[in-house]
Amino acid sequence: MKVPFAALMLALSAAGPAAAADSCDVPDNLVETFARLPRVGLSVKRDHRLEVLVLSAAPKLSGEASSLKSYPYYLESELQQRLKGTEVHVFAQSEPRKTINEVARDLSRLISERHPVLVVWQTGTVEAMRGIDPDGYGRALNASVAALQSGGADVVLINQQFSPRTDFMFDGAPYTENMRWVSQTRDIPLFNRYEVMKYWGETGAFDLTALKNDGTYEKVHGCIGRLIADLVMRAASLSGTVER
Amino acid sequence: MHSLPPAGRDLRLDFFRGLSLWFIFLDHVPSNVVAWFTVRNYGFCDASEVFVFISGYTAAFVYGRVMNERGFVIGAARILKRAWQIYVAFVFLLVFYFAEIAYVSGHFSNPLYTEEFGIFDFFQKPDVVLVEALMLRFLPANVDVLPLYIALMTFFPPVLWLMLRKPDLTLLLSIVFYFVAKTFDWNLVLYPYDHSWFFNPFAWQLLFVIGAWCALGGAQRTSPVLNSPPVIALCVVFLLLAAPLQLSWLFPSLSGRMPSWLMILPLDKTGLSGWRLAHFLALATLVIHYVPFDAKFLRSNWARPLILCGQNSLEIFCLGVFLSFSAHFVLTEISGLIPMQILVSAAGIAVMVTVAALMTWYKDVERRGGKPPPSATQEGLGRVTAS
Repeated sequence: MKVPFAALMLALSAAGPAAAADSCDVPDNLVETFARLPRVGLSVKRDHRLEVLVLSAAPKLSGEASSLKSYPYYLESELQQRLKGTEVHVFAQSEPRKTINEVARDLSRLISERHPVLVVWQTGTVEAMRGIDPDGYGRALNASVAALQSGGADVVLINQQFSPRTDFMFDGAPYTENMRWVSQTRDIPLFNRYEVMKYWGETGAFDLTALKNDGTYEKVHGCIGRLIADLVMRAASLSGTVER
Repeated sequence: MHSLPPAGRDLRLDFFRGLSLWFIFLDHVPSNVVAWFTVRNYGFCDASEVFVFISGYTAAFVYGRVMNERGFVIGAARILKRAWQIYVAFVFLLVFYFAEIAYVSGHFSNPLYTEEFGIFDFFQKPDVVLVEALMLRFLPANVDVLPLYIALMTFFPPVLWLMLRKPDLTLLLSIVFYFVAKTFDWNLVLYPYDHSWFFNPFAWQLLFVIGAWCALGGAQRTSPVLNSPPVIALCVVFLLLAAPLQLSWLFPSLSGRMPSWLMILPLDKTGLSGWRLAHFLALATLVIHYVPFDAKFLRSNWARPLILCGQNSLEIFCLGVFLSFSAHFVLTEISGLIPMQILVSAAGIAVMVTVAALMTWYKDVERRGGKPPPSATQEGLGRVTAS
């Protein structure tokens, strides 16, 4: 039996589970971690404070988009909801388009200014776009994470996001592999944002291919903030649930 | 001067080059579920190693004969002509790549991807980017094995000249060069001058030269050693150990924490890490051992599509890169769901095979010049191309 091509295309584009529009759920294996965040646990239990620094090389949103809330905002509110009685501050530091070596130079200043107990570091995208040597990137990241740890901070790494429209233009996989090496060597969690978002894209939870602003931004960032908050709670062996 | 192995097409080369071309295509379609079938997931090396090795093998086999029979100048001229063809193919692909980027950049303003917009910064200065790209100093992802091939072919004439006289010395020099380049971190610099070639030609030349050395008698001379039970057993053990290591690396949650003495991953692809090289050589040794020159399946119908692709490798490589761009376009514009990924993968391979079959058919027609087709026993023999 011959299936008309157009009908096949239609069937394929409509296939897949019709997930709830704002479902953040992903399989456990995408967000599992064996690493621990001892300094976070201690700070929450002893000082009832949690100072978080979110570091990324993403530029600030401009124009109409500048009022959109990003995952550091959601991370703060999600952590605050889980950690009643703890003062949670999340400070987002953007170093637009800077590579690992350029960001590394600012690290000691940022640490002495903010005294974070947790640094959530999103990295790898700029390096992938510029084609920086992945091996050298891994070594530089390893050294920077070691410096953060000896400065008294736990670290969570976040890799590049899943961006279906620019996926063919540069290859982030070698950088994620080096981040995984750093996460194992330094015993810190790696939040695999790429795989998490790819899962959302493939199951139809979110349409990640929109050309213009279609309102997905805050939903995706809300979910990322929530999943990172869950990861931090688990890795720091903290209890605290949120009713939804 | 060493004698060359007997003429006649080694269909194993075509078969495995065809397979590597399929794998390269599947790996190049971004986030493609079908790419789980490719070699890179089950060991350290990937299809690039297969492609470079076989390219070195065929280049030595074809142009070694020409250089022996017609002298250095004619041989060198043929090699450089080939390098020029590869350059033209590279520029051809570049145009498609730039066209797709230009299309996306013109329509794309989703704030979710503000960071990824950085890739368009390069194209703010088209004058600079185009000139740098033509000088092989701006190399987009997915086509960067072609510039490596151009560089290797351009410097191949003197290598081949020496290889025809002193094959072992040439191999030794290549090994020394590999280690020196690694020690001193040599690589070619790329625009915008803070990074270098993804396939470091100073390192990858070793695999090309190993391929050439094998073609010019090295494989025959070492065959008693390579086919000895201890070596075969060693290769099997190495591959069996590498596969779970690579897989556990790809699925960290399944394996748990990796012991620190096993932390050899990720392996350096740019500088062709020794582990990758060793893995490829073990794989190649086993393939040569278990797949004889005259293996029956190489002449069977199901091997035909792969052999056809392998026999037209430059064209099919370029077509594969072009198809991976198109597949990406379909996956973002129509649907990126898993059934669609399988469909575009299958469709892409079908197109590759069809085009390869047409090209082989046309070459046959051209060569015969209207004469009747050769008898079945001669099919595929006495004709070796370096495509």
